Amino acid sequence: MSLDHAAKPAVSDKPKTARLAFSQHMNEVSLFLAILVLYLIFASTAPGFISFNNQVNILRDAATIGIAAWAVTLIIIAGEIDVSVGPMVAFISVSLAFLLQWGLPTPVAFVVAIAFGAFLGAISGVLRAYFDVPSFVATLGMWSALRGTALFVTDALPVSIGRNDMLDALDRSVFGIPPAAIIMLVLFAAFAFVSRKTAFGRSVFAIGGNPHAAFLSGISVSRIRVGLFAIGGAMAAISGILLVSRLGSGNATAASGLEFDVIAAVVVGGTALSGGRGSMLGTLLGVLVITLIGNGLVLLGINPFFQQVVRGLIIVIAVLANIQAIKRSLSRNKG
Amino acid sequence: MTAVSNLAPAHAVASLRDCTRRYPGVLALDNATFAVAAGEVRALLGKNGAGKSTLIRMLTGAEIPDTGSVTIDGVELSGSGSTRAQDSFQKGVRVVYQELSLVPGMTLAENLFLGRWPRKGGVIRYADMEAQAREAMAQLGLDLPPDRLVAGLSPAERQLLEIARAMLGRPKLIILDEPTSSLAAAEADKVMAAVTRVAAQGIAVIYVSHRMNEIRQIAHSATIMRDGRIIDTVDVKGADTREIVRLMLGSEASQAAALEDRSQPGIVLEVHDLALAPKLSSVSFSLRQGEVLGIAGLLGSGRTELLQAIMGVRPFDGGDVRIGKQSVRSAGYKDMIARGFGYTPESRKEEGIVPLLGVDENTLSTNFSGVSRNGILSSRRMAEATRKIVDRLHIKTARTDTPIGTLSGGNQQKVVIGRWVYAGSRVLLLDEPTRGVDVEAKAQIYSIIRQLAAEGRSIIFVSSEIEELPLVCDRVLVLRDGTLQDEFKSPHIDQDSLMAACISGH
Repeated sequence: MSLDHAAKPAVSDKPKTARLAFSQHMNEVSLFLAILVLYLIFASTAPGFISFNNQVNILRDAATIGIAAWAVTLIIIAGEIDVSVGPMVAFISVSLAFLLQWGLPTPVAFVVAIAFGAFLGAISGVLRAYFDVPSFVATLGMWSALRGTALFVTDALPVSIGRNDMLDALDRSVFGIPPAAIIMLVLFAAFAFVSRKTAFGRSVFAIGGNPHAAFLSGISVSRIRVGLFAIGGAMAAISGILLVSRLGSGNATAASGLEFDVIAAVVVGGTALSGGRGSMLGTLLGVLVITLIGNGLVLLGINPFFQQVVRGLIIVIAVLANIQAIKRSLSRNKG
Repeated sequence: MTAVSNLAPAHAVASLRDCTRRYPGVLALDNATFAVAAGEVRALLGKNGAGKSTLIRMLTGAEIPDTGSVTIDGVELSGSGSTRAQDSFQKGVRVVYQELSLVPGMTLAENLFLGRWPRKGGVIRYADMEAQAREAMAQLGLDLPPDRLVAGLSPAERQLLEIARAMLGRPKLIILDEPTSSLAAAEADKVMAAVTRVAAQGIAVIYVSHRMNEIRQIAHSATIMRDGRIIDTVDVKGADTREIVRLMLGSEASQAAALEDRSQPGIVLEVHDLALAPKLSSVSFSLRQGEVLGIAGLLGSGRTELLQAIMGVRPFDGGDVRIGKQSVRSAGYKDMIARGFGYTPESRKEEGIVPLLGVDENTLSTNFSGVSRNGILSSRRMAEATRKIVDRLHIKTARTDTPIGTLSGGNQQKVVIGRWVYAGSRVLLLDEPTRGVDVEAKAQIYSIIRQLAAEGRSIIFVSSEIEELPLVCDRVLVLRDGTLQDEFKSPHIDQDSLMAACISGH
């Protein structure tokens, strides 16, 4: 009996959520199939696609997107977004080049660059967590300010670093595999572990799934949000360092549009933009899809402007097919 | 008790004749005959599930009676589905629900005509609209510039705007569903004044509320429902609160068996003159160790605000909260958790659970480090710790990592309580823990609460379901008009007195 008048139905949506675990795998299986299909198509049509050298290229390109994408996956799972990745990479590459020009020892310069990236990311995080600035706006501001600063101080010219053994080593393949790819995979393992096996990682899922409930359970929602953006900045900084090792200079115009590749990879990987759901493995597959498309279209010699059209179409179709596959498996399971 | 003579159908604006509506397993409306006349304000009372909502849906055409007929403005409603609802609307039936449906970022006038803006060639005629809005609002004594944003309005003004919207197009019957439940007393007066103005224009009003002082002020008569039946329609002036409570509750077992009082002398929490405008003016009580303290009160009496103020979720204006000799006035939510307090929110879905995550993570989120080794979550420990809670609280789940969203409401609620048991909290503040939970799970939750108290934990149990308080609580305090008005101690907690204490006026 109640004095309250409002109806309070006991809702249980059993069939729907019970299948989510399955559809999560559905998503990864279908992505894996998509990658196979892309391989088959490009291997039979694009000359040189299947060569060892090109596979190494694919891995190196994947590293550029992947390293940033691991952090952005967590950010998106937490229900946030980070669009500042590209300018952050460029800005850090310029900063690192200056640090080296000023004669800082290379390892110290690396640490400073990564810490600086984390600090800049944390600024967006603090704006989001403590001042309620939507993360899209906070990182959009960062996007514009970082690119602008980098261009302003360099006049859009590359900042050369001269000879640097350590940076050269970072660009020298180990048993044919570029270090960038190795770093990407090591970081992938770390992120996959953190996201599944640590209180921090699980709190990220809880915050994305229901921030109120997470707060009331005693999870430090604000601190974790700041931490996430700091990690995002640090990962972009690592990409920035690898960029310097590859180009031999800091470059304010580099990594243009990288943020869109990163977000596309995460979304293609099945992470929900609304937060609360997603996986590192999905993002890894998403990164491969995005990289393969880029690589294959270049080898096919398609007009670069038209490549963008094809890429856009493929991304939308991939996500659409993924959603349809999940829906189908849901309705089939409902029986 | 003077029964009001049944109104002749000729005067009735709206009437139900012998209406019965059966849902699977429930008789929602049992042979109900009801009529309301032009210019009359009729209060509608009844506990949850008494059939008030079904009766309202009959009048609006949202539901069709299995047997019997509904007549609006002298014409019987026919048709089904949306045509029936449109029919009822066109004949002049309007409902104003508790949940406000205004767009805060738009102006008063825009909201008043939402979706039906007067326009010419697709362009909204603002001058026209605002003039009409001004007139519509003036009828209710709402004197505000129509180009103001709704975002800046007080809750009472928003409620008045809703009523003004319902008044457009000359309605015959306006149904108000607990219009003052979210308002403080002074604000409620404005709404009641408006209701009187509405009735003065010859419009029939059905006023769903449980605040007897309001009902006495504005209603002519009150219809009391119970178990789908219309029990009686009484003259408000002549009826006393006890009598109305008796009609609402019937002759159910009114006293529960005495509970074994295990509470100990130690005081774990003291609240002194806590004030939180506009809901709470001065609340004082103390909680003993091992005690289950019930807090009863109507919807909107400030129950949730009280718990949130104690927990540090919501800052309060005055007074003090003390643990032992120490004031925790400035303690934040995390401090309170660290001091052994746990809080379960009223809305389980919005604030209680993370539906996609497993039972384990929903339970362990209060203390992940308890199941970690060197900062790494141990699957084995997680499963063990969750299994303990699952077994203790009899949570029905196939696995400990089943997504919590797939569990029934009762089992979800047990997890939400279980997370504080896992965290080792000594004081639990439970806000409506049995809301939206089936009967069996309710009984289980009661026994869980008694068991936790027997172990020396102290519990504050907030509930709007009067009949469960005697089953669980050692002591019940009644929250009304911003303060704690009455105290009942087990075994002298009876439903009738509790209900009367909740609804009676100043």
